[in-house]
Amino acid sequence: MDSPALRRLAFGGVLLAATCGVQASPPELHLKLCAACHGPEGNSVIPDNPSLAGMDAGYLMRQLTDFKSGKRKSPIMGQIVMTLEEDSLRPVAEFFSEQKATGGTVADPALAAKGKAIFEDGIVASAVPDCGSCHGSDGSGDAKYPRLAGQHAVYVERQMLAFKSGERANDLKGVMGAVAKRMSETEIRAVAQFLTGLKE
Amino acid sequence: MMLNAHRAWALAAALLLSVTAHADPADAASSPLGFGSKGYVWNRMTPEQVQVLKLSGDPVRGKEAYRACRGCHRSEGVGRSDGAYPRMTGQHAIVLIKQITDTRAGLRVNPKMEPFSSRHAVTPQEIADIAVYLSRARSTVDNGQGDPALAVAGAAAYARLRCHECHGKAGEGNEVKVYPVVAAQHADYLLREMQHVQAGQRGNSHPDMVKTLRGVSDTELKALASFMSRLPDYRDAPR
Repeated sequence: MDSPALRRLAFGGVLLAATCGVQASPPELHLKLCAACHGPEGNSVIPDNPSLAGMDAGYLMRQLTDFKSGKRKSPIMGQIVMTLEEDSLRPVAEFFSEQKATGGTVADPALAAKGKAIFEDGIVASAVPDCGSCHGSDGSGDAKYPRLAGQHAVYVERQMLAFKSGERANDLKGVMGAVAKRMSETEIRAVAQFLTGLKE
Repeated sequence: MMLNAHRAWALAAALLLSVTAHADPADAASSPLGFGSKGYVWNRMTPEQVQVLKLSGDPVRGKEAYRACRGCHRSEGVGRSDGAYPRMTGQHAIVLIKQITDTRAGLRVNPKMEPFSSRHAVTPQEIADIAVYLSRARSTVDNGQGDPALAVAGAAAYARLRCHECHGKAGEGNEVKVYPVVAAQHADYLLREMQHVQAGQRGNSHPDMVKTLRGVSDTELKALASFMSRLPDYRDAPR
């Protein structure tokens, strides 16, 4: 993700798209640009990069807009989205929302079992709500809350830790940040491990 | 101006608590605005409560807005049988509105509720909607009931302390006077709240409640909790 070669490739794509004035729907060059990191159908093969397939278009739009405004900070996404026109984002979001998510593989079933309990029941002692109330009992998400089913564990864990530290703070109503702060790193890892194997 | 300064202080204190006290199961703490403070009136409406009461609640919208609460209070507001979260199923809408707005105003201190019940998470309209939704909600999930061996002593204490005069013989509360339903509430929640009221720690306590519970032993409180928790949902009670 951070390799200079990849970044040059990404910028090359953006430049090409800009100079050609591509406005087709969905803009093929934009999709190619996304595919490099997120997979052609939004099923990323790089654990650091989130899968986008099956995520709600409204949710994806909010993230893209937040990357653009700087509300959500990412050196790569921030720079890429900055060069794109506002109205070219919607078809991209819609394309990925319509793709079928392939899901991931659970590496540590015992940890995933602990995560399942937290996902379904929360943690009463530390006032952590269950995850399904917002993200859907099958983790499919909606426009307000992202899809989690089948997401890379590494990615989920990193985002949750970023919410916990306050580094990421573009959550709706500050709820995710508050929940992440009430969770231990082990609990976060457990939930992330469960989610990667969660099938809709 | 004085009120604003007090309110700011309360909010700051609540915020501090929300950071430090998340693992504390006993979440009650005295509020500088609440019970025991000068000029305290238990049912003085906060400006926000007035605002919410002017709005008309919609149960369908309420069910959607309730997602912000459901992670802890569970489907249909059944709470937790161990009393960690109260049962709100069938609670009077006006009681729910008072409790939420009092908490937001810093009168009742509950760090666990932050940020789920805060202004930026739930709008006044959503409070009205959620309250109507929960007041009409039904559930077949059993509540956490107290020791059956204590229920008879609890019934006697309920009569002796004249609890029924406000909370009703069926534990149905009083919608007009904003007294909560106590029937079918989780026993451990009832016990904890009575202990907090007794200790002057429930910030929006009715002074008569504090007076009534003065000197009541813990055993008797447990009996009361058992009795109330064993009353059926008041809507199903024979009339």
